[in-house]
Order: sequence, then structure tokens, then C-alpha cells
Amino acid sequence: MTDPLVWLILLPLTWASLAFPSGPGRGAWLAIAALGVQLMLVLLLVVDVTESGILVRAVGGWGAPLGIDLAADGLSVAMLLLTQVIALPLAIYARSYFSATAPEGKYFWPLCGFLLAGLNGLYLSADLFNLYVTLELVGLAAVGLVAAGGGARQIAAALRYLFAMLLGSGAYLLAVALIYAAYGTVSMKTLAPLITAEAPVVIWLAGGLMLAGLMLKTALFPFHFWLPPAHGGASAPVSALLSALVVKASFYLLLRLWLGPFAGLTAGAGLLGWLPATLGALAILWGSCQAIRAQRIKMLIAYSTVAQLGYLFLIFPLLTGEAALRAGIMQAFAHGLAKAAMFMTAGVLIKATGQDRVDSLAGAAQQLPLTMFAFGLAGVTLTGLPPSAGFLAKWQLIEAAMAQGAWIIAVVVLVGGLLAAGYVFRVLRQGFLLVPATSADTSVFHPLPRTLEWMALLLAAASVLLGLRGVELMELVSLGGAV
Amino acid sequence: MKRPVVIPAALLFAVVLILAMVDLAPPALDLRPLVAANLASSGVAHPVTAVLLNYRAYDTLLEIGVLLLALVAILAVSESVPTTSSTSATSSDLLLPMLGRIAAPVMVVVAVYLLSAGTSAPGGAFQAGAVLAAAAVLLHLTGLLPGWRQPGVSLRWGLAGGFLLFVGVGAILLLVEGDLLRYPPDHAGVLIFLIESGLTLSLGLILAGLFLFLSHDKGDVG
Repeated sequence: MTDPLVWLILLPLTWASLAFPSGPGRGAWLAIAALGVQLMLVLLLVVDVTESGILVRAVGGWGAPLGIDLAADGLSVAMLLLTQVIALPLAIYARSYFSATAPEGKYFWPLCGFLLAGLNGLYLSADLFNLYVTLELVGLAAVGLVAAGGGARQIAAALRYLFAMLLGSGAYLLAVALIYAAYGTVSMKTLAPLITAEAPVVIWLAGGLMLAGLMLKTALFPFHFWLPPAHGGASAPVSALLSALVVKASFYLLLRLWLGPFAGLTAGAGLLGWLPATLGALAILWGSCQAIRAQRIKMLIAYSTVAQLGYLFLIFPLLTGEAALRAGIMQAFAHGLAKAAMFMTAGVLIKATGQDRVDSLAGAAQQLPLTMFAFGLAGVTLTGLPPSAGFLAKWQLIEAAMAQGAWIIAVVVLVGGLLAAGYVFRVLRQGFLLVPATSADTSVFHPLPRTLEWMALLLAAASVLLGLRGVELMELVSLGGAV
Repeated sequence: MKRPVVIPAALLFAVVLILAMVDLAPPALDLRPLVAANLASSGVAHPVTAVLLNYRAYDTLLEIGVLLLALVAILAVSESVPTTSSTSATSSDLLLPMLGRIAAPVMVVVAVYLLSAGTSAPGGAFQAGAVLAAAAVLLHLTGLLPGWRQPGVSLRWGLAGGFLLFVGVGAILLLVEGDLLRYPPDHAGVLIFLIESGLTLSLGLILAGLFLFLSHDKGDVG
């Protein structure tokens, strides 16, 4: 265990491929133990990167451009930290959530392990083609998780998700091929000095393809069409995994390319950043309005994801300064923690009431006070109230926008916060203020393992408390990074 | 409604792509001399095998993971698809099963040849595994091999075994040599052959499984 960096990829691959032969539904304890180790590894990595800056590992000992390089800087370590911090409580939740015979849980552990291996591999890769393979791992595992054990409607959602993922990865792969044709290498480090503002047309084309493909994979408006049915239809642990982590991976990759190999193009074209930002603003407005109108609780949370992802793209015109990058990563953390918690509470509420409509939540606060409290805390973060991480992210974003005179972004952030309050309070009002129509209704709440409620509360509390320790995280982001 | 927009847009994209490709200068970097220069210490004599299993073995490792993952995803989905009672295909045709019986052993021999040829000529685990899988599909289509239901313990270990072996070798090399999948030049050939043998078997099962797990409920078509 000398090298946390490489083990963060090998370990999930190992437990994923051991969980499969152990049998359907098996592998939960192995996964939880391994995720505990992964969390320690990522903390070791944080220490390593803090002490010595960017870490590079040459797989096979060859080194780029002949071999593949793995690299960890502040940005990638921050994303790794987010992934492991969410994955461990989520795994404990999932073990209680899936009963031994549940069809949707039979292959959850191998699929989940491959998903996490793909994510960790993606955050550590410094090679454009290797990144494509990790994207495939993540995408395919996510589609499998959405489809697992579901009915026809869920499989239809998974199929639509699969087509969107394939189109996104296909565009990315075409771009990698074009870049290789032009420069003869796919190593990001080698490419960075080669791609300048005078790059041939084909590189602009490749950049456009990557931008479009990754926006599709991140479900940025108007490419969000696949997200609500996929995230809203899957089982609760899967929805949490997808909304909190999977969509962040393609956003990270876009950011990495934007600041890394393509910096020569993006720095020259100042207006380019307004394309993702405009779509992001529209995503915030459209996603929030849909969430306010949603009838089913998981659809409400899924549309909230569409809206919250919009904030991530508001930073692109502001990336000349470091504050915007910090705001973006803080938002990724805030949304990741809060959204995982929110889908976990939704899972508890749906299991307890046997229904998934927002209207059916009346009286939930009396029966499941911990769960409704967790939902409230996650809602505080999504709305951006102090002292939550969501507040810190939005504060940083507004500050960065005002410093560069982009007041329109500040307005969008403020309006988005008000709209978020709209859909969060819709649920809280049902849960806390309304009483069930008849007293008989209170008896329909089924008892559930307390683990489910506590894990949701843990992540929700983390999303709020992170706001108090945000400075450390933001300092980590800037370590040895592309900016 | 969509067609009048999509077709011109796709055509425009194709034209721009072709024009951009036409005036492309030769690449700034040529990796071929580098590949050839390190061939001696790579453990194999064929440059493609050297790239796949040594220089960029990490890509291959993850790609095998993708294939295994695809199979697990199919199993997870087919879990919920209602299955009809399946009887293995009984063909009234006598010629077809006989051809299957003749072809399958030959295909196994071809697979072994492709595996061993991989070190010095085009071939290797992917090709050998594909031929093995084709043999299994052929046997299924000629009614000699029933479709697969949910896999038992030994089949599951067979499916995951090649990948686990690859990960295991990679991890041991990380501990011994200090880098993931860094082969010591003296033992590179043996280790690569070991990995490829395991992969051939597992890839054969995985690729066959992608077909046979999906066809188990249609076994009585005949």
C-alpha cells in the first residue's frame, strides 16, 4: 500500500470483479470495507499532494507519450475526495436498502464497483484515449444500474440514457482521433504546448466535438432530456450515485480540457465561455421550474439536478481568475453531498409510504423526523442559505462575477436560489405542516432500518457543515493545478 | 419536422470534417520509432501486441473491465425480463449439427494458434477469444448448446477470472517493480502470455455470454 494513487483505481476494480463471482446480491461487506480503505487512501493522497504538489505516475514505467501517465493535482484530488466521501455512506445505505432477494440489487455491487473504478480512473488519467475508456466504464455501469431489475419504463429510460452516453462518448472519441491525426499523441501533457491559437481547423472541430459530447453527458440544458427519467426512475441508491457523482465526472473532464490542453484555444476566444454559461443559466431556470411543477418526489429531485448542474457551467466565462474554479468545485461538493442525501431520503420516504408522490408526504415529519430533517438540511444547501457549502459556492461565484463585471451571472445565481427555495419548501410544507387527511393514514408508514435515515442525515449534515471548513477545500483545489 | 434540419446539418459537418482532414499537416510526433526502439524489452516481437499489452496495457486492462461490465449489465437487465420455459433447440436437420460438431474443434485449435501467434504476428487474446465465442455461438445455433440462464459459480469465476488475473499481475508488479503493470524485461514475455491465456478463456466466455444469455428464452425457435 505504498502508492495511494494507483490503488484508488485497482481496489474498486478488484472488489467489483470479486463481487460478481461471489454471487447475486453478495459483496456488500467487501465493498464497504474496501470503500473505507479507499477513503483513507484518498486522505493520504491529499497529504501527498499538499506536500509535494502534482504527482505523476508512469503506468508500465514507460511514461508519456509512449505509455500512459496518471496524474493527481489539487483539482483531481478534490474530485476523488468527493467521490469516496459520498460512496462510503451510500454503500452502507445500499446494503440496508436492497433486501436479499430484490432483483434490482442482485448485481448492484459489481456495477457500483466498476462505476467507482471508472470515476477514480477518470480523475487520475492524463491521457485522452485512456479518459475515453474510463468514460465508457462510468457510462456503461451507470446504464446497467439504471436498468437493473426495473420494469419496461425503467429499461426504456436506461436505453435512452445509453444512446445519449454513446453519442457523447462517440463525439469524444472522434475528437481524440482527430487530435491524434494532427499531433500524433494523446498525452495531455505533450499536447498542451502544441495546441495554440493558430491550431488547424481540425483541432477547433475536435474541441467542439468534445465540448458537445461532454455537455450531453453532463446533461446541460438542452441536452438534459435523458436525465430526469433515468435518475428519477432508478432505485434510490442508484439515483444518488448518478446525480451526486456521475454527472460531475464529465463536467470535471470538460473543465480539465478547457484549462489544460485546450487552454491555448479557450484563452484566445473569450466569448466561447459564454456558450456553456448561457446554457447553464437556462438550465437553472428550466430545471427549477420543472422541479416546482413535478408531481413525483424523485422527478422533483432529478429536475433539481438539471438546475444545479447549470451553476457548474456559469464559471466558464470567469475562468481567467482562480475564484471561479474554486466556486465551481465548491458547487460540485455542495450539490454532490446534498443531492446524494436528498435521493437517499426520497428512498426512505418511498419505502415507508409505498408511494412516490409529493402529495403523499403529509405527516411524514411526525413519522420520520430524522429523514425530513435530512431533507431540510440538504434543501438548505441547494437553496444556498448560510452557512452551507451551497451558500459558499454561490457567494464565491457572485464575487467572481462581480469582479469581472459579469453582473448577469450574479442575477442568475440569486434567481436560481429563490426558485430552489420554491421546490424545496414544497416538499417541506407537505412533510411538516400538513396533517394527513385521516388518522388512519399515519399507520401506513412501514418501519425501516434506522441506518437508512442516519446515512442520509450524515451526508446532508456534511453538505451544510462543509461551508464552515470550505477554505481548506478551496486551497486544495489550487494545488499544482492547471490554473 | 426534424429531418430537414438534421440531414443538412450532418452533411455540412461531414463536408467541414473532410475539408479539415484534407489540409492536415503530418503529425508533429511520430511514435513508431519509439515503439520499435523499445520492442526488445517489451517481451513480444509484434508492435501491436507490444502496444496493447505492454506500452498501453492499462488501457487494455480497463477495456477488459468494460467487456465484463457489459456482461454484468446484461445479466442485471435480463434478471427482470420474464423468461419463458426454455428447451434446448432441437433441429430436425441432420447436416447442421454435424457441421457444428466438425467446425467447433477446429475453431478451438484456431483460437489456440491465434493466441500463441500474438507474440510475433497479428493475433492475440482478443482475436482468440472472439473465435472461441464464435464456436460457442455456432454450437448454440446448430442446436448442440442450449442458451445460458443465470450463470452458476464456475461460469461466473470463468467470466471474471481473466480480468482478475490481469488485475492481480498488475498489482503484484506495482508492489514488486514500483509501477502498475511494469514488467521486468526478462519476464515480460512469460507474464504477457500468462495474461493473454487467461484473457482468451474469459473473453471467449464473455463474448459468448453476450449472445447466449440473451437467447436463453428463445431456445425453442427451430
